[in-house]
Amino acid sequence: MESFQFNHNVAYALLFSPVNNPGKIKQRIINAAKATGSEGNEEREAVNFSFIDASLITSRLHLETAIHQAIIAESQGLLRTKTIHSEILFALNPTNNITEAIRRYGVSDTSNALFVVHIVDSPGPISDLEIKMKQAVDGTMVPFDELAKVTDWDKIEKYHKLANEVMEKGDAVQARTFIDNVAISSVAMKSVMQ
Amino acid sequence: MTISLSQNLIRSSLPIAQGAEAKVYKAHLTPESPPILLKYRFQKDYRHPFLNANLTRSRIAGEARAILKCLRSGVHVPGIRMVDATDGVLGIEWIEGQSLRRLLPGGAEDDGSDNVDNVDSMDTDILKEYGVSVDELMKLIGIEIAKMHRVDVIHGDLTTSNMMLRRPESFTSSDPNVTTELVLIDFGLSYQSTLTEDKAVDLYVLERAFASTHPDSEPLFAKVLAGYAETTGGNWPAIKHRLDDVRLRGRKRSMVG
Amino acid sequence: MPGKTRKTPLKDADRDYLALGLEGSANKLGAGIMKHSKDGAAIVLSNIRHTYITPPGEGFQPRDTALHHREWALKVINDCLTKAGVSMHEIDCICFTKGPGMGAPLQSVALIARTLSLLFSKPLVGVNHCVGHIEMGREITGAQNPVVLYVSGGNTQVIAYSRQCYRIFGETLDIAVGNCLDRFARIINLSNDPSPGYNIEQEAKKGNRLLSLPYATKGMDISLSGILSAAETYTLDKRFRAQGATGDEDTITPQDLCFSLQETVFAMLVEITERAMAHIGSKEVLIVGGVGSNERLQQMMGIMAQERQARVFATDERFCIDNGIMIAQAGLLSYRMGYETPLAKTTCTQRFRTDEVHVAWRA
Repeated sequence: MESFQFNHNVAYALLFSPVNNPGKIKQRIINAAKATGSEGNEEREAVNFSFIDASLITSRLHLETAIHQAIIAESQGLLRTKTIHSEILFALNPTNNITEAIRRYGVSDTSNALFVVHIVDSPGPISDLEIKMKQAVDGTMVPFDELAKVTDWDKIEKYHKLANEVMEKGDAVQARTFIDNVAISSVAMKSVMQ
Repeated sequence: MTISLSQNLIRSSLPIAQGAEAKVYKAHLTPESPPILLKYRFQKDYRHPFLNANLTRSRIAGEARAILKCLRSGVHVPGIRMVDATDGVLGIEWIEGQSLRRLLPGGAEDDGSDNVDNVDSMDTDILKEYGVSVDELMKLIGIEIAKMHRVDVIHGDLTTSNMMLRRPESFTSSDPNVTTELVLIDFGLSYQSTLTEDKAVDLYVLERAFASTHPDSEPLFAKVLAGYAETTGGNWPAIKHRLDDVRLRGRKRSMVG
Repeated sequence: MPGKTRKTPLKDADRDYLALGLEGSANKLGAGIMKHSKDGAAIVLSNIRHTYITPPGEGFQPRDTALHHREWALKVINDCLTKAGVSMHEIDCICFTKGPGMGAPLQSVALIARTLSLLFSKPLVGVNHCVGHIEMGREITGAQNPVVLYVSGGNTQVIAYSRQCYRIFGETLDIAVGNCLDRFARIINLSNDPSPGYNIEQEAKKGNRLLSLPYATKGMDISLSGILSAAETYTLDKRFRAQGATGDEDTITPQDLCFSLQETVFAMLVEITERAMAHIGSKEVLIVGGVGSNERLQQMMGIMAQERQARVFATDERFCIDNGIMIAQAGLLSYRMGYETPLAKTTCTQRFRTDEVHVAWRA
């Protein structure tokens, strides 16, 4: 399990690639939101994660930045979405459209790789958390380094509207460094985007 | 009162410098994260709290937007790493390198605020470490400013203190001849404008900064303009014409009593 | 350069010097006599002023102001000589405001200066009004090398001395701060007695609601016309109560507007002043010009200075508001450096930048 130890909070994350049940996860999240009673609470707790389509993540820092901005928004009561976990998806999307953010960056029927993230106030035992994540996702847990094989640079370039700028870059390495930096910066300044 | 998240981050960071508007720190968001530079726009007690809050928010926003606009257009600027407009904190990529002011003759003297680097001796040999000559460096300055002006961002405070050279060790390039990169920093006074006048004044401010910081800077600045002209292309004659006007006026307007 | 004091080019006075200063660039007619004595002291022998006050809602027109100055010149100058106990024959030079300012009033006073010069065979010294403010401020407060905030009806500048020149670091890009306040006073029909700015300051003390006005700094410069229009727009708002608060929650009163205007505009002024101080590393700030007598501005400047371990120097209304003695002071410094204005060059100019003056008397 990877962790991001911020000053105030800790985020735990796992990367799954491939994922065999994306459609089912998505349906479960939708159902959990509607469910009532103690069963509903239990179900919501079972999927109380941010499921992020890993193909749209450029780097560890990209993910970290989105988590950090979501934490800041929550601490100030400025969440634009319902939970800190959905706020990560909102932060990742370059527009202010919430539905679009969840559709693009959240789990979808076609998601092949997923980051599963859970934010807590202070470090705690992670074995339970890992079990819960693994229960939610039917897939192969891989180290974060595997992200390099998963990232869909063309799609990110498209979402950030960088086609013309990328063409001017000398080679793929330069282009990716550029896209990564723009993606991270966009996430970081999302709260003051025009 | 509980201490805010960003305040807490600042407390655990290393103070670097303090200017009139902001305090600057070196920080890490998590122990594994790369370093970032925090710019904290602290409260001004002389200002009404309501005014303070609005102003801080809009300035952080303005600075972040200018940086992103530059970044997207390929201008070399530090990437943005965090924004907390409520608390007045902007976090940007930590540039491993040196301020240009200290790399050029005369710039290390009388250097009050800018203590990020520690250079004892002052001669242009330092530039060799970066693999560029003074002439090449001047051209790089002109090119970056031209790129920035092309997307209608006016820096507002162009000085050699607000430019950095990346250290070759921390810079990767596909072209072996390119060993460093000139980075424009501090967009705290920047704004958007399409006006030739504003671009000319931006250049004039730099010219004055050169003259006051680096002795016999005229030939140097001519090379900055040459780089600028080359990159600006068709818009250069108009800007040059306006720059000549601004020089004549000394500053912006004549005075009515 | 802070910390580096070079010897001043101004030689010690070999005898006592006396200068008559005449000022009339706007609606104040002033005459003052300055003495630079042999022991190095500068003594204000007299400083007389008469202000042309217009009815509420009206500004002063150049023609009427010039008329006022002509009508009052004899009395003011006579009072000034009597008070000082000096006769015209003892005067070393006659200093007058060359500019900047309003054309007609400037010309009236220059004409008076020329006449006196010819009558008594005294040399003339043309003085830049802004430099007059600065030199008087330095003399009165003892500030050595301050950043100067010059705020009046016609000028808004942040100035710092460098190489025999008062360099303008920042200034207004449109209207002057005093002009902005005066015009707003007219909009809400405040009295012009003793001055619109003073009355705005009193009203502002009763306001407590900060209304949002455009805060317009651009680098070291500021813009004020947008703020004036925004403040005026509030007076057309349906929540506006010209007669003041009625006890309702959501009302906008003239007092609130005066308060908001001062808070916003002064914050901008303090900000650009601080930027200049940081830039040149100065630990002194001197406020001159009519608006400089505003206590809220002085207070805000004081807080800023305290934060940077710096000192604020301000003068009271005798020297802040346009006066003759400041013209005498700057003129006499110039005269002692050997400068005189030949009669043929004693013209006036409405436009005369502070940085055009060769400050020969400073190192």
